[in-house]
Amino acid sequence: MWFASFRRVREPNAAEPSEDAPSPLSPRRSSQPHGYSLRISSSDPNPRPHSSRNRALASAIAAAATSSACDLGGGCGASGGGGLLSWIFSARAARADEGKPAGADWDAHGLPVTHTAVPLSRLDGRKRYKVSELDFLDRRARDRASAAEKNPLFDDMAALRLLPGGVYTRSQLLGWLEAMTSSGMFEQLSLQGKPNPDGTLALTVSYAETIWPGAAERLKCVNVGLMAPPDAGPDEDMTAREKLEYFRRQERRDYQQRIRGAKRCILPESVREEVLGMVKKQGKLTAGVLQKIRGRIEKWYHDEGFVCAQVQHFGNLDTDEIVCEVVEGDITRVEYQFHDKLENIVEGNTHIAVIDRELPQQLRPGHIYSIGAGKQALTRINSLALFSGIEVNPRPDETKEGGIVVEIKLKEHEQKSAEVTTEWSIVPGHQGRPTLASIQPGGTVSFEHRNISGLNRSLSGYVKSSNLLNPQDDLSFKLEYAHPYLDGVEDRSRNRTFKASCFNVRKLSPVFVAGPNMDEAPPIWVDRVGIKATITESFTRQSKFTYGFVVEEIKTLDQDNNICTHGSRVSPSGALSMDGPPTTFSGTGVDRMAFLQANITRDNTEFVNGATIGDRYIFQLDQGLGIGSKNPFFNRHQFSVTKFINLNKKDKGAGKPPPAVLAIHGRYAGCVGDLPSYDAFAIGGPHSVRGYGMGELGASRNLLEVATELRIPITVKNRQTQVYAFAEHGTDLGSSKDVKGNPTEFFRRAGHGSSYGLGAKLGRVRAEYAVDHNAGTGAFFLRFGARF
Amino acid sequence: MAAPIPREWTGLQQFPAATQTKLHELLGKMKEENVSTLTILVMGKGGVGKSSTVNSIVGERVATVSAFQSEGLRPTMCSRTRVGFTLNIIDTPGLIEGGYINEQAVEIIKRFLLGKTIDVLLYVDRLDAYRMDTLDEQVIKTITNSFGKDIWRRALVVLTHAQLSPPDGIDYNEFFTKRSEALLRYIHSGAGINKREYGDFRLPIALVENSGRCKTNEHGEKILPDGTPWVPNLMKEITAVISNGSMPIHVDQKLIDGPNPNNRWKMFIPLILAVEYFLVVKGIRRAIHADIANGNVDDWEQRYRDLVGSRDPIEQKGSRNRKA
Repeated sequence: MWFASFRRVREPNAAEPSEDAPSPLSPRRSSQPHGYSLRISSSDPNPRPHSSRNRALASAIAAAATSSACDLGGGCGASGGGGLLSWIFSARAARADEGKPAGADWDAHGLPVTHTAVPLSRLDGRKRYKVSELDFLDRRARDRASAAEKNPLFDDMAALRLLPGGVYTRSQLLGWLEAMTSSGMFEQLSLQGKPNPDGTLALTVSYAETIWPGAAERLKCVNVGLMAPPDAGPDEDMTAREKLEYFRRQERRDYQQRIRGAKRCILPESVREEVLGMVKKQGKLTAGVLQKIRGRIEKWYHDEGFVCAQVQHFGNLDTDEIVCEVVEGDITRVEYQFHDKLENIVEGNTHIAVIDRELPQQLRPGHIYSIGAGKQALTRINSLALFSGIEVNPRPDETKEGGIVVEIKLKEHEQKSAEVTTEWSIVPGHQGRPTLASIQPGGTVSFEHRNISGLNRSLSGYVKSSNLLNPQDDLSFKLEYAHPYLDGVEDRSRNRTFKASCFNVRKLSPVFVAGPNMDEAPPIWVDRVGIKATITESFTRQSKFTYGFVVEEIKTLDQDNNICTHGSRVSPSGALSMDGPPTTFSGTGVDRMAFLQANITRDNTEFVNGATIGDRYIFQLDQGLGIGSKNPFFNRHQFSVTKFINLNKKDKGAGKPPPAVLAIHGRYAGCVGDLPSYDAFAIGGPHSVRGYGMGELGASRNLLEVATELRIPITVKNRQTQVYAFAEHGTDLGSSKDVKGNPTEFFRRAGHGSSYGLGAKLGRVRAEYAVDHNAGTGAFFLRFGARF
Repeated sequence: MAAPIPREWTGLQQFPAATQTKLHELLGKMKEENVSTLTILVMGKGGVGKSSTVNSIVGERVATVSAFQSEGLRPTMCSRTRVGFTLNIIDTPGLIEGGYINEQAVEIIKRFLLGKTIDVLLYVDRLDAYRMDTLDEQVIKTITNSFGKDIWRRALVVLTHAQLSPPDGIDYNEFFTKRSEALLRYIHSGAGINKREYGDFRLPIALVENSGRCKTNEHGEKILPDGTPWVPNLMKEITAVISNGSMPIHVDQKLIDGPNPNNRWKMFIPLILAVEYFLVVKGIRRAIHADIANGNVDDWEQRYRDLVGSRDPIEQKGSRNRKA
């Protein structure tokens, strides 16, 4: 049921279908003046529409799929069409392909060189002929020049393209001719070969384009994608004439009904107008015009990302309303396939529901396949971190005509993995010289058990020591169990993840850091060991709410891993005084406490051509419960706001330059109640006030930071990068004295400070010059990652 | 730390007769006000003449004075009694070391004073110091932080080296006024006394000249350039401070530790938590839901919705079936 109206137009040719129908390829010597020309009628009454349609889709999709499969971002390119008319021919052309010679060699035609053309039937089926010349002759053209012009209708043969200089077998030439003829684009088409003395053939294609009588006033576009195919065809025992009658009747009635029942296309009015304009401009409805229309409509679809859309058929060409039947690519189902490393199909460990909930709505059955939805599915499935390979491919549905099956091929990660890394560190011994004993082997052992019971639950952990010979000195570890889909995989309205971990981390305290005008203070390490259980509720990719419970033991250690109770500093006389602020709340050097923790993040930032734009609010809360050493009861809170303002209102779009961005940041932190010094808020550092060291400005009970940064994109040698200027200020709001022992004052820090500077992004590294406003001196810094 | 048994104030007899008379007069006056013990705390930067002043007041060489060297970090207290009246003078080491406040010294002073009651604070500085800097302010701040702001109600500012010849072109009185104004300004800012409180914190100023070359009057009393005998004058100012109506400062553990910042607002924590939950957390949650509702959708999705619509596919399917 394709090109129904073409067939009707060609009725005179099909007047003797009884001979033609069984063997459409049989040459028919007609009353042509030169009896040698070969003419193939395509009045095949039932030209296998379904398979060709599916194959057409297959080729289109194949082109799209190959690109979508290989990379995450690239997706199905706009190359989806696979050529304008390719789908029409692909069925037969593919067959013709089979006989294509492998080598470049060709055989001489072995025919007598005359001036008369030879019919193709006289060619030897086993020989490979070289076509040295190829001429086209339009019989309708008024003058010779335009007649010789090559009609674009002959282009875009995906399977076989006749080219001068090419080598073809007879069956290939016949196939080409048949494909061309059966396209319905030509009323007449003949191929003549003229033997040349050098053993090559000169081919002449003479043709006449089909012209339909209809005066196109309107254009109706319908989606015939999932419509029931027209009836199965005539009974086997009908005579040929009856069959023909049957078709005629069926055709008219069914077609009208069919079109009336079809779903309208999503093609907007503007494109339809444009297409109509094309027809009107031409004045007549020729095959070439139809091809242009096709091209235009399909281009629109592909540009919009509907890469599976195909113009199937033009109908009602003899009336004033052309019907353009489009298969838009309706999704009929989603299929999951798991592959192992050797690309064998295996049974996956992952529950389908886990993957299924990541699919965007637009990729579910009933929607039109769009490349954007496919890409999103790819990114979202990828973010599950369960798969090492993901492909999202649309392919034609074999069971449902015109439908698309979204095939998701997945390669799962190994469920269990373990890793050991080792390192040597040389610690300066006495007098700063490394000794044999000071060479320390260190290492990390990590393991992960992913996707437990196929529900993306995981157990992971690591143990790290910088001194394996004496691991109790410095051992940090973390063991974490994550349990996603707390409300069930099926519940898509909520996404909560439970996590439980036990940990031991050791960090250098930024509280016990000497000010700029003082000798370096002996470092204090804060060692936390404990367990933590949290529930994270994700609202969007970036916005989430986490709440949980932490029980931990905090030890403060000096360089030699001895528990130390008070901070110390070097007095001007060189003596080390141990009378500094207490390091722990209990004063013993070891605190135990239990508290509640909550963090809510609202992040609606998005990338606009590579620059972050949007707002980010983070509120974090630690609520002491009075459980622990000396019953610590406290409310420790932090609130930070960062706004990224798009200064020149640049729109999103590929290839557009990134906008200039003004980032404004503010952070308030405070604590009411018991505040151990290790929980005091340190001021200064790359993530607090740039230009100062970590904690160089003080450690306080309350803190306020304000920062602003102006980012200007620049292009250096065709590479996008950015320069930025910033100004920052941090203050303890006079609350340093409210920390026991006043570590800010003890270490002679200012308690507040400003800085400003300039920087440039060099790849991933940022080089910046920051001026410390307290001292009035500037310094260069190199760092990874942005401040905000 | 038990106070040493007070010795008889023999040094009193060393003063010239006129001074003795005046001092006895003042002692009698204090007795009338039922004041039998007077504890004076002397503080100030190093090298301003604290110890010399102490010696001058007691009339004995109780504190070793060395011109070029600071004494140890320990404060010393000397107690003298006279006719049932006890005078305690606590001399403290200079608070500055290496350009910074020596917290260790401050800590020792605090511990030394624990359990004692300070009647008068003598804040000692030099009259002939022309300039002041943040160090002065830090000293004042340290004193305030250690003993509370109220210590300045019992403070007497003592300017030593009173017998100076002011720089050229400035009158002695004018110089004194300027110097004391500058010092008071620093004390006001360092102690956090705002303008409204100037009346409460009167901060009287007394001049002192400890030098042996100090001029004397006809009675042999050491006198200031304006002719006032300064020892009785100093004692008079001290008694004035005692009777100015403010309370003496009792140094206890609480005062030394200061108000425990860990306890401030502690009882409001449940309230703070409620505010945080209901206003901040819920507020941010609402904002997140607004973000979701405002549909920050991808470009392709927006386009898809524009073209195809965002209807449920099942519904679409139904409508199609009906049509067909």
